[in-house]
Parts: sequence; structure tokens; C-alpha cells
Amino acid sequence: MAEQGIAKVETIYQDRGHRARELKAEGKKIIGYYCCHTPVEIITAAGLVPYQISGNVAETITKADGYLETIMCPFCRNSFDLALRGEYDFFEGFVVPHACDNIVKIYDIWKVNIRPPYSHFINVPHTLTPAAHEFYKAELGTFKRSIERFIGGEISPGQLKEAIQLHNEYRALVRDLYGLSKPDPPLILGSERTKVLLAGTRIPVQEANELLRSVIGEVRGRSDRPQKKPARVLIYGSQIDDAPFIEGIEGVGANVVVDDLCIGTRPYWREVEITADPVDGLVTGYLDGIKCARTYRARTGTRKEDLDNRFGHILNFAREFKVNGIILLSINYCDTYEFEAVEVRDYLQEAGFPGIILEVDYTLLSIDWLKTRIQAFLEMVGQPV
Amino acid sequence: MEEEKKGILESVGGRTIKTTEASKKVRPFTKKITQDGHQAAAEGRPVAYCFIMSLYDEILRAMDITPIWTENYAAICAVKRQAERFISSAQSDGFPRNLCTYCTIQEGFDLMRYQLGGIPSDAPDGGMPKPTMLLGTGMMICDPRYKSYQIAQRYIDVPVHIHGLLWPPVEADLDEVKDYYVKYAVEELRGLVQFLERQTGKKMDWDRLNATIDLANKTYRVWWDAYQLRKAVPAPMPTEDAMSTMVPGYFWMGTQEAFNFYQDLYNEVKYRVDNKIGVIPDEKYRILWAAGLPPWFALSILNYFEMLGAVFPIEITYHPPPPVEIPAAAKHPLERLAWRFFKQWTYRHEKARKRSGDAMIEWMLELIEDYKIDGVMMHRATTCRTIHAGQIHQLNVLKQYTDLPTLVLESDICDISAFDDAGTRNRIDTFIEVLDTHKKGKQ
Repeated sequence: MAEQGIAKVETIYQDRGHRARELKAEGKKIIGYYCCHTPVEIITAAGLVPYQISGNVAETITKADGYLETIMCPFCRNSFDLALRGEYDFFEGFVVPHACDNIVKIYDIWKVNIRPPYSHFINVPHTLTPAAHEFYKAELGTFKRSIERFIGGEISPGQLKEAIQLHNEYRALVRDLYGLSKPDPPLILGSERTKVLLAGTRIPVQEANELLRSVIGEVRGRSDRPQKKPARVLIYGSQIDDAPFIEGIEGVGANVVVDDLCIGTRPYWREVEITADPVDGLVTGYLDGIKCARTYRARTGTRKEDLDNRFGHILNFAREFKVNGIILLSINYCDTYEFEAVEVRDYLQEAGFPGIILEVDYTLLSIDWLKTRIQAFLEMVGQPV
Repeated sequence: MEEEKKGILESVGGRTIKTTEASKKVRPFTKKITQDGHQAAAEGRPVAYCFIMSLYDEILRAMDITPIWTENYAAICAVKRQAERFISSAQSDGFPRNLCTYCTIQEGFDLMRYQLGGIPSDAPDGGMPKPTMLLGTGMMICDPRYKSYQIAQRYIDVPVHIHGLLWPPVEADLDEVKDYYVKYAVEELRGLVQFLERQTGKKMDWDRLNATIDLANKTYRVWWDAYQLRKAVPAPMPTEDAMSTMVPGYFWMGTQEAFNFYQDLYNEVKYRVDNKIGVIPDEKYRILWAAGLPPWFALSILNYFEMLGAVFPIEITYHPPPPVEIPAAAKHPLERLAWRFFKQWTYRHEKARKRSGDAMIEWMLELIEDYKIDGVMMHRATTCRTIHAGQIHQLNVLKQYTDLPTLVLESDICDISAFDDAGTRNRIDTFIEVLDTHKKGKQ
């Protein structure tokens, strides 16, 4: 019987490119992409396999120093180092959305030095005006035509709608997965969940849906649920996309029950509406649907109302998942989140959820260094809910 | 001779030595920014926090909105060695030191003004007045341009507006994308104008805006022409002057004063070229300032290069934008602005597609050839991803097309604690030796 559930997740997590290489051997084309702003539905609809690029905090940078400055986002440096070492040699293509300054820079650098057969940059407005929606629709049209040239065929509206349906199913399953963390103690560790989410972005969406169903079924039937810890916490940040970040926190007295992260709730707490022209659904689903610090949400009403509009979803998570505190993991040189973290901390503090901002440099070492501070914070907030 | 190894700043004296008379007349322009701001605030007129290169210069001038250029104010604080207290102030509220120091100085200043209920004591140039609005941009060059003003609402609860401006990557088919890129810029600018009309209670005078754009275009042109004269040998005007002569262009564009300034600069540089008056008496090496915002607190390092016979005849940083042709059909002032923006930001796309794939590299190669460059220098500011991330890659690509020696100096734009005085001097000394060897090898 084929491996399923958490065991399969662990297999994919330990050898992240294994399934992609198998698929490549079968003739499938793998498209690597950065950031949850890449509309993966277009890649799936083209019969290609989207594969989200991540870093590996256990790996030391050995080659990227010859290409990227130390003042750059350490996640970008780490993931690009993996590429230089051949970890992503199965990519037939490479897609980068205009997410932030660091990601914009990495596009050219990757293209020139890794030389994937296909590459495309998607411009994403920072604003959410009607003009931004119109622009983004045109830009997605350009992306779609570019992919069509690459595959030598057209993507039909039906194929795109089918892909949206598949990815909507995946997003719904991820939300179900998070539901397993609502009990106290949760049914699943936060670090396990991170591995599931990482695995899910490395295999075709059909397989990912199957994997999530099996994981959810397995976890629901667990007799040995994770140990109850003194504190339930929410993790906030950007590309905190590797399990050791979460293990480090769970190892010192917390259950990480929910998050607002790029590999976390951020890309999945939404649906992409299936519209008559399916690109319209992608426009609103991605531009408005992903609440990310890189997108400017025009001020609405009073300062308090503006903060509610920007961060209310995080407060809802904190309440819904009954957390005691917030840990804001700020990756060095991630400008948008380093600015935003201060606002999020104060907003949640005001609502009764204490928070702490911790700077990390995307290494295991930085996680170790922070353990004492995390422990002190958890002891402070670890009161019964 | 170890005792001669003074610190670099000590060896050249505290102040930056300028060459042109025009550059020595810039300081009143910077002082006037905050003076005008305070006066406008006192008279109840609109005052806006602004970022440079946001395409709203002419719009603000046409609507009598007084801009406070917060990056410029941060640089003034750095020059006056007063940056640290504002950076520390921002740090005390949770903003890490590695964030853009243009922004942390602004946030720290705003926090102090908020806490004190007035301007922090002894703030350079009288400090920044409290603005009535914050005008940022969502572009592709700098995320802090929209984040820092959004965050500044913690200390200044005034309306904020962010407009988007984007340009396509080099590989894009410009015919395929130009219309929707330009349309986006037009509509975002229209949204900005509507916002400004609401804030000021005043309608835009489109004829006045057109006239202001005409004046700005004329100013850009004479500024560009003046810098073309700098191709001459010996170099008539150095980069340390350009770090000042950019002020009217980036902070006073659309005004008669800016035009007059560049007309005078043109005349002065032309006179120096015609009479072969160089920056230094014996010009041995010509270096391109290829990338990087300058360390504002240590511009005198450029004088140190001059002591060693090296001059910077040209720079990419704060270079005037290239003259571009606007489609005749673009009549509305916002269309004119949008097309100018699009054309300027895609100016070297076609050239890049044919060779290096990188528009910035193409620009460097142009300058290397046109300005008879012997070596290339970049400055890497630790707190800015905008220009400073990607420099290693740029040098890697550049080396495929030229064998010129290169140097990277590291410090910051405003944070003097990032500056290694002795290390900088040693790097420069070594670079000059390499330049000399390379040049002799070529002869």
C-alpha cells in the first residue's frame, strides 16, 4: 500500500525534491516559484507542476555569498544557495511575482545564474485600486500567454476553472487541518502542520489534496495527541517556512496552534471565486485575498478601524484558537514585515494578547539563541485560558 | 610610516570639499525645504511628507502643496552627525536597526515630536514640521516607500495616500504591455490628484500642471546636458558635487529656481571644459560611482580619492533621467507624466535584451565608455535593499564585458556606526594600487 498521511509528509519533507524528480522522469514539467502571490492555478491549468521554493534552515550557505549580499533577505540567500547546489535542478521553469524588494532582485540573479529553460516575472501592484485590479488582470493575461508559448498550446477557460477548483479544495483542506489545532491540547503539532504545508506545495495539487485528506483522517483518529503545553501561541511573520522554527518554540513550552505566515494560513484563508472569465477570480483572489504586508490597504475610517482592517484577521485567529500570546518572528532584512511587526504587536497587545518580536536570520543557530527569550515569554503568558 | 595612517575622515578634514560654484550654492535649497514647510504649517497651508522619484513633483507644485522630503532630512541629520538619536528613538519602539535609516530617522523623529509635543531640541534645520498628509508610493525600487508612511500614522494621525507606479522587466515585450502599464500610472496619478483635491479643497488647474511639466522637462534637459559635458578630460565636476547638485532636481523640480540652477551649472561646467579646468591638477584615474547611495556623513572620502590622483567624473546615483520622446497623442498632463515615467524606466530595455539582459549593466557600460573610466566603485549601504542588494551580481555580470578593476565600500547612508574608517582607507589605498597596475598594463 502506498505511503500516506504523516509518514508520507515526513518522506517528502526529508527529501523535498524526490517526488518532483519522479514526475520529471515521467515527463512532467516542474515550475519553481517564489511566494504565495504566484497564481499557481495558471501553472496547474497548463499541465505543469508548481513547486514552491523554500529554504532549509539546517543548511549553511556555501555558495550564495558569491552572488548575494549579506544585507539581503536570509531566506532568499538560503533558497538561492540550495539552487546553486543543484537542489532545484529539476525545474523546467521559474516564476517570480513582484512580492518585495528582495524577491524582485532574486528574479534576475536566479535567471542569469541558474538558467532555467523558462522564466517569467509577474508584476503585482502594491495598491488595491480599481486601476490596480485592471492592471493585474492584464498582467495575468501576459503570464498566461507566456506559459502558453512555453507549452506550445492554449489554456482553455475550462482548464483554468478546473485548476481553481482543485486549488480551492486544497485551501479548504488546509483550513480543516488548522481546525485540528483548536482543541486543547491540539491534535497536531505546529511543526507537523508546517511539514504538511511544505509537502503540499511540492507535489501536484491532486496529490496534495489526497495527502491532506489522509493526514486529516489520521490525525483525527489519533490516540496519542500532542502533549498539552503551558501556552498556546500564534506565530506571525513572513517566510517562516521550515519546521525547526516551530519545533524550537514548541520545545520550550508552547503549542503553536495557529499562525499568520507565508507557509501558513496567509495563502489559504480565502477562496478563488470561479468567475465567467476565470482570470477575474484570480485577480481578486490573489490581490485582495492575501493579506500581506507588501500590499497597501488604503486607510478606512479611524486609525482603529484601519488597524482592524489590516490586522483584524490575526485577532480573530487569536480569539478563535484561544492563544495566550503572539510570537512575531521577524526575518532580518525583510523590510515590510520588520515595519509591520511593530504595529501587529501593539494592536494585539491592545486587544489583550501579549506579543514579543524576535529577530531571526533563517538559521538553526538563531533559533537556538532565541530559546531563552521564548521560554521567558512563554512563562509570562502561559496562564490557563 | 604607520603614524601616517590617519583615519580617512581625519586625513581629508571634516568637510567635503566641492569644486563647482554651483554645488556650493545648494545648501540654501535644502534649508529652504524645512523653512517653507514650517511657514506653510504656520499659515495653515498643506504640507506633505514625500519620497523622491514619485512622479508627483509637478503635481505638488501645481497645487501649492509644500513637500517635506523625508529622505533628504535624514541625510541632513547624517551630515550633521545627528542621526543616531533618531535611529535610537525608532529602535526604542521596536524598529530594528537594519531597516532603511532614511525611514528610521523619520520614524524616530516623528516619535520624538509626538512624545515631546514639539520639535526635538536642536534638530537640524529646525526639524520637520508636522505634515498634513503623507504621500508614499508602491513601486519596484523600495518597499519602505509605502510601509514607512503607513507606519508613521502611529505618531502622525493624518491622511496617507499611496499611489502605484510599475515598470516591466527587461524581457517584457514592450508593445504587449506598454498600454496597460501607462494606463495604471495615469489612473494611480488621477487617484492621487483626487486625494489632494479632497485634502486641500482645491481643484487641479490642469493648464498650470501642463506648464509645470513643460518647465520640469526643460529643467531635466539642461541638467542632462550639463552632465554630458562631464565626459571631458580632465573631469570638470566630480561626484561629490553631484551629490549636492541633485538637490534642485530631486527636491525642487517644476520650479523656476531649479531651472535657473541647472542653467548656471551648465554654463559653469561648460566654462571649465572649454578652459580645461579639472577637479584636480593631475588627474591619473577616472572612477565610475556605479551604484549605491552615498554615506552622507562621509562624502569627504571622495576627496581622499582625489588626494591619490583619482576623480569620479560621473555617477549613476542621482543621475538626471534620460530625455525621452512622449507619444504625440499623450496630451493630458497625467498621460505625459505616465509616458515619461514608462519611457525613462524602459530606456535601456531593448539594448539590455540584445546583450547583458540587465539595463543597469548597459548603463554602466555606456558611462564607462563615454566618460573614459578606469575603474568602477560601488557603495553598499547596509540598511537599504533598493540599490544595494544585487551589487555582487551586477559586478559579476559587468566583468563579462569589461576587465576594469572594481571596488565595493561598505557602510550606510545615515548610520555612521556602520562606517569603518581605517578599513575604508585601506581598501581605497589598495584599489588605487590595483588601478595603477591595471592602467600601466594597458599602456
